[in-house]
Amino acid sequence: MDLRDSFRNATRAIWAAKMRSFLTMLGIIIGIAAVVMLMAVGNGTKQSILSRMQSSGSGNLYLTAGARSNVLMGGNPEGGAGGFAASRAGVSSGAEITTQDLTYIEARVTYSVVVSPTNQTNITIKNGNTTMSGTGIFATPTYFQVENVTIADGRMISDGDVSNRTRNVVIGNTVQTTLFPNESAVGQLIRINGASYKVVGVAASKGETVGSSVDTAIVLPFSVGEKSFGIAHNRVQRTTIECVDPTQTKVVIAEITDILTLKHKKVDFTIQDVAAMTALVTSAMTILTALLAAIGGLSLLVGGIGIMNIMLVSVTERTREIGIRKALGARERDILVQFLIESSLLSVSGGVLGIVVSVLGSDFVVSRFTTTVITGSSILLAVGFSIAVGVFFGVYPARTAARLKPVEALRYE
Amino acid sequence: MNLIEFSDIRKAYTIGSVTIDALAGVSFDIGEHEFVAIMGPSGSGKSTLMHILGCLDTPTSGTYRLEDHNVSELRSNDLAHIRNRDIGFVFQAYNLLPHLSALENVLLPCTYSTHVMSGRDERARGHELMERVGLKDRMYNRPVEMSGGEQQRVAIARALMMDPPVILADEPTGNLNSKGAREILDIMKDLHADGKTIVYVTHDDTIGAQAERVIRIQDGRVVADERN
Ligand SMILES: Nc1ncnc2c1ncn2[C@@H]1O[C@H](COP(=O)(O)OP(=O)(O)O)[C@@H](O)[C@H]1O
Ligand SMILES: [Mg+2]
Repeated sequence: MDLRDSFRNATRAIWAAKMRSFLTMLGIIIGIAAVVMLMAVGNGTKQSILSRMQSSGSGNLYLTAGARSNVLMGGNPEGGAGGFAASRAGVSSGAEITTQDLTYIEARVTYSVVVSPTNQTNITIKNGNTTMSGTGIFATPTYFQVENVTIADGRMISDGDVSNRTRNVVIGNTVQTTLFPNESAVGQLIRINGASYKVVGVAASKGETVGSSVDTAIVLPFSVGEKSFGIAHNRVQRTTIECVDPTQTKVVIAEITDILTLKHKKVDFTIQDVAAMTALVTSAMTILTALLAAIGGLSLLVGGIGIMNIMLVSVTERTREIGIRKALGARERDILVQFLIESSLLSVSGGVLGIVVSVLGSDFVVSRFTTTVITGSSILLAVGFSIAVGVFFGVYPARTAARLKPVEALRYE
Repeated sequence: MNLIEFSDIRKAYTIGSVTIDALAGVSFDIGEHEFVAIMGPSGSGKSTLMHILGCLDTPTSGTYRLEDHNVSELRSNDLAHIRNRDIGFVFQAYNLLPHLSALENVLLPCTYSTHVMSGRDERARGHELMERVGLKDRMYNRPVEMSGGEQQRVAIARALMMDPPVILADEPTGNLNSKGAREILDIMKDLHADGKTIVYVTHDDTIGAQAERVIRIQDGRVVADERN
């Protein structure tokens, strides 16, 4: 029996029981859509974290207080508020980085580096009747350089702003469009936590979606943090150190570790480069993605059992047909192939519909909440899985059919 | 030359502790181009015999030779090949596939043939056979849309599709009225005239009288083997 005939027979049999076939497929549709969509969320999260890391420069080192190995908690380059809360909770009161530490390092490090100390806190921003919440980043002019933040309009925070504790701020793109939808914010006054500040510049959008971003942030002079936001004197939550020669990051880490250990008399801080964090994030997110896919895989398993069930019913219902086909010369293999093709066709059509559902679902629904990335490999995986499910769960019913004795199958009413 | 040699064929069915000898040692030879009627009361073993002849069932013991094959020793694939190429089986219950058209039913054996005909040749032969059984204008009807006699003629056309030397018919007219039965018998006589070997199970003595040879079965044994 040639394959074209087999396919025609299979489509016919599936079409003859439309409702039942569709319900059977639904199990696979849901299973495949779950696998693809959950993988899309996993991959999307990974990609957006990585792109955020890489957008701030490959020569960057991140210095934070506390000897921690868990980069995901405290070493996030732009440091979401959650990350800082965790680092504050996890670190003893003695373990902190101060501006004196940074001056000490800058005086001794032999490589060319740019140091950017930052503190961060959640703020409420207001213009007239419009209010939004965002992140206040207390920084020096080097912040713009090391984090690759460019100015779209106006100017950045100046050394003068920092030394004079001037209430001048640079606002993110989202802040600009939210508070000043129709005009440039530069030169305008806004209120942050109730006090008045002057906008001197607007940062260009970085278009990031996961965690905090400069788009929803306001950059304030570093010194304003301790004056008006209750941040401890000279305290630095997080420091980005850019190596001017990105190939030397490992050596610079070693050198700064030595310098700061000498000063602190112990290793109560963590320095990591982008490569180390990228590797960690990649492996953590790959595990997460696999886990998500496995959860989706469970519903695929249930779908497969549905196929097996319906194929067994189908074999029983068509016992006489099998007998007739055998009487006309069908070999065991022909019957086996016929039912295997039928079960595979069911599960592959379910798989393809599942992919369509997951593409639509992640483009129009899930992407509103988080970044989704559907990769070619997750599609291939889904197709492969659905073929495998069809064959695996089809083999038993198909073999049952193939092994029927012709005379017994013909006698079946 | 003998086309079929049956020697001491037995078939026993065991249900629980009871064993029924459906065939209790049947021996006969059938030569090429013979028209043999098998007759006997209900339950005498005619269908069992036909199923073994048609390679749809295997005997408990005994040897069956068909052409140059020792059928008793063949494996499932070879038996399938014989059912496809050497034997056309006509059942009392027609056994057409209900979701296929008459023509598609007739073409069904081609699907399982190792000898590949082009699709066009297959269809041409299908048309020719439908015409031969007088159903040229019913080709695209489904079995439910046809009378019993018409369905049985479709089944005969299907049995002829691969041009087998032997036609086995197990009470083909059992469900038909006398007109339908006469049409089937006419086709069978026609096929015999064309050189087919025909084994035909019937209850009807008038049909038996038209055969060249009548084998009478009772309680799983041959009780008479007469030539007219
Ligand atoms: N599958 C079976 N299981 C048990 N007994 C059977 C089976 N098939 C046939 N028989 C028995 O074998 C005998 C012959 O049956 P069968 O060949 O159908 O007779 P006929 O076709 O002459 O009416 C009967 O007694 C019948 O009950
Ligand atoms: Mg019978």
